[in-house]
Amino acid sequence: MSELLVKNAYVIDPINHIDGEVMDIAVKDGYIVEDVGPKATVLDAEGCLTLPGGVDSHTHVCGTKVNFGRYMSPEDMRAGREVRRGVKHATSGYSVPTTYANSYRYALMGYTTLLEGAMAPLEARHTHEEFSATPLQDMMANTLFDGNWAVMKAVAEGDIERVAAIVGWTLSAVKGFGIKLTNPGGTEAWGYGKDISCIKDEVPHFGVTPAEIIEAMIQACEMLRLPHSVHLHCNNLGTPGNYACTIGTFNLVPDLNKTRQSLYATHVQFHSYGGSDWKTFCSKAEPVAYTVNNLPQIVIDMGQVMFGKTTTMTADGPMEFNLYRLHHNKWSNHDVELETGSGIIPVLYRKKNLVNSIMWSIGLELALLVKDPWRCLLTTDNPNGAPFVKYPEIIALLMSKKYRDAEFATVNRRTESRVILPALEREMDWNEIAVMTRAGQAKALGITGIGKGHLGIGAEADIAVYPLKVGEIDPAQEYQKIIDGFSKTRWTVKRGRPVARDGEILVHGENTTIWVDPKISPEHDMSHDPEFTEMFNHWYSVRMSNYPVQDEYLKRNLRIETEATI
Amino acid sequence: MMRIVLTMKERTNPHIPIEAEKINPAFLMWGTDDLTVWEGNKERRLDEIFEVEVEGTATSVNEVEVVLRGDTSRVKRIGEYMDGGRITVEGNVGMHCGNFMAAGTIEVMGDAGGWFAREMQGGAIICHGDVGHYCAAGYRGEKKGMRGGKVEVFGNAGDFTAEHLFGGEVVVHGNCGDMPGVDMQGGYLTIHGDCSRPCGNMTKGKCTVLGCVSEMPPTFKKEGEVEGPDGLPLTHFTGDVANRGKGNLLVRHYQYLE
Repeated sequence: MSELLVKNAYVIDPINHIDGEVMDIAVKDGYIVEDVGPKATVLDAEGCLTLPGGVDSHTHVCGTKVNFGRYMSPEDMRAGREVRRGVKHATSGYSVPTTYANSYRYALMGYTTLLEGAMAPLEARHTHEEFSATPLQDMMANTLFDGNWAVMKAVAEGDIERVAAIVGWTLSAVKGFGIKLTNPGGTEAWGYGKDISCIKDEVPHFGVTPAEIIEAMIQACEMLRLPHSVHLHCNNLGTPGNYACTIGTFNLVPDLNKTRQSLYATHVQFHSYGGSDWKTFCSKAEPVAYTVNNLPQIVIDMGQVMFGKTTTMTADGPMEFNLYRLHHNKWSNHDVELETGSGIIPVLYRKKNLVNSIMWSIGLELALLVKDPWRCLLTTDNPNGAPFVKYPEIIALLMSKKYRDAEFATVNRRTESRVILPALEREMDWNEIAVMTRAGQAKALGITGIGKGHLGIGAEADIAVYPLKVGEIDPAQEYQKIIDGFSKTRWTVKRGRPVARDGEILVHGENTTIWVDPKISPEHDMSHDPEFTEMFNHWYSVRMSNYPVQDEYLKRNLRIETEATI
Repeated sequence: MMRIVLTMKERTNPHIPIEAEKINPAFLMWGTDDLTVWEGNKERRLDEIFEVEVEGTATSVNEVEVVLRGDTSRVKRIGEYMDGGRITVEGNVGMHCGNFMAAGTIEVMGDAGGWFAREMQGGAIICHGDVGHYCAAGYRGEKKGMRGGKVEVFGNAGDFTAEHLFGGEVVVHGNCGDMPGVDMQGGYLTIHGDCSRPCGNMTKGKCTVLGCVSEMPPTFKKEGEVEGPDGLPLTHFTGDVANRGKGNLLVRHYQYLE
């Protein structure tokens, strides 16, 4: 296969402690090597900023929910239309674009690895089909267990080994990557017309509380030795005063893993709200960030909101219903048999709106207040907070106090009394941005070992060269250059092949689906468990033998086998 | 004044639709040489499809008159985003004529296809024949439809006329199909003929039906008799009550679904 040499690269590689060193990167057969021969293709980076390929640790780009967002919003498809050209497919859409549009836009921004935030196990085939049409990024799917009947029953019985066995069997059946809990118990409770306001409320008919589900899942995750921790969307999203619930949840988490966090709390911006109703709504980013700073076992991502049109989609059905009651626009709700649910509504975040302005501030406050950039990652919960194409703007906001002040002057003026953003002086440096957009994300997902998120010898050759000369730009003043630079790479290299150059897509590409297959002892194999199979036959609309995703659904894939302790 | 006459040439397959958003005074006033249209999946120069005759010159778009002749029934998107001047179509016209139009005048002597004057912002658009479905409507999924200007149809209109109407005026001299004025949030809709199930989910605006309404929606509240144009007695309804709407629906005759 081919050889490639990226010359004169100004490299920032936080995992290998390289902070701004001009060097050459040699690539052979898709991996980074010490040296290559004289015949290698040369890309001259001319001293431009070179980072490992971007990793998005929480995004919604593939699957039934995203696709239903597309169904619901034909008007969204009017934006971002591009005709087919060369290797490039035609694209359309803005907040819920076509899979190719997602893939191309991420590639142009230098992203090469994505984690689909929520995949309903029963509907995994659809997610995998869309993965195969997202050619330029390696994909992983977090699998939803928030309302899984078998899991909740095992939790109620206090049998953690059984919980782990069920999770392990399901993950390998649906080719999932990690455990996702979305409003644990809440969506299922809502199915019975009840609501769960925090972690101590009991899920009707199951006799468990969200706290018990979260604790059991964290332990089960470690029993299965999964690369990623439990990925949690806390209860009570988007309600004024929910920060107390969020902090309560964080305080439950034991520190069980030496190499990574024990809990990944996603889009914490939506969980850091103060006030008792919308009239007294305010930011509580400070206590939440304080808790995170004190608990090294927790990693969060921002879930930043940016102004404009977007589509919200989550497995948190009741929350979407509450949003629908606020907006009175389109709404969809969906129940996934014994597993989870989902809801979708389109929204418009407006600067004039006080609540929206506060939400925008909270995301930035969290990022600036969490001291360790490895523990607060840059996301928008695409497309819930904003489509991912807004990432460069967020980077600029984090790097420039001047830009934050200029933006703050344009939002609802009553915001000032409800947030602390104007008082925060911190301006992030290039290294911190590199951590928040790739190194930290790869570490939190536990995929540095398979060569993601760094540029060390043996790493996958996913490289992003941005047209930014670090020494010549003052990010605090010239924020527009930061936005432009991070929007369009000079080169995006995926597995040793240049896939994008100056805004042009160069190859069709073929991604790798990364999935986890925990090796469980035969006595814990759920496919022979009489109670589990009986549950399947009785309640599911599919037979257990038809449930696992066949290998044909995965084109190129990387199976991570773990040695479970059960 | 500048007068541009576009005469459709003979085509081997006259059924292939032509996407002609470039037929707009704003583009044509600067010359027709580098303008292209799409015939099916082939991009064609304008003069491959039309005989182009240009007379006079113009300094502003308002001095431009475009005339279309020949079989233009498959030509789509004429006058899209038009912001001044005049287009006269001597025959029929295809879908999406006058989309997003902001100013100027379009006059169609024959029939028009679907999505006539969709999401119009201003100006005037007249069709002397019949129009297809979704005349003066919004786009699928969008909340607001036509926001301003005037649409006048002398023939009949299809289903979903003035759906999501938000402002401006729509007059249909013939009959309308099913569900005219659905989701209306403002503006005026006048139907001189008959229609069925008008104004469901209406929140604001005024719809007048001078013919007979069949399958009158039961979610409108009867307010009494009022005098309409030419002294016609009309029944005044408000609604849509199901949506806490405050729209006005005035009808000459109506019958509920049996």
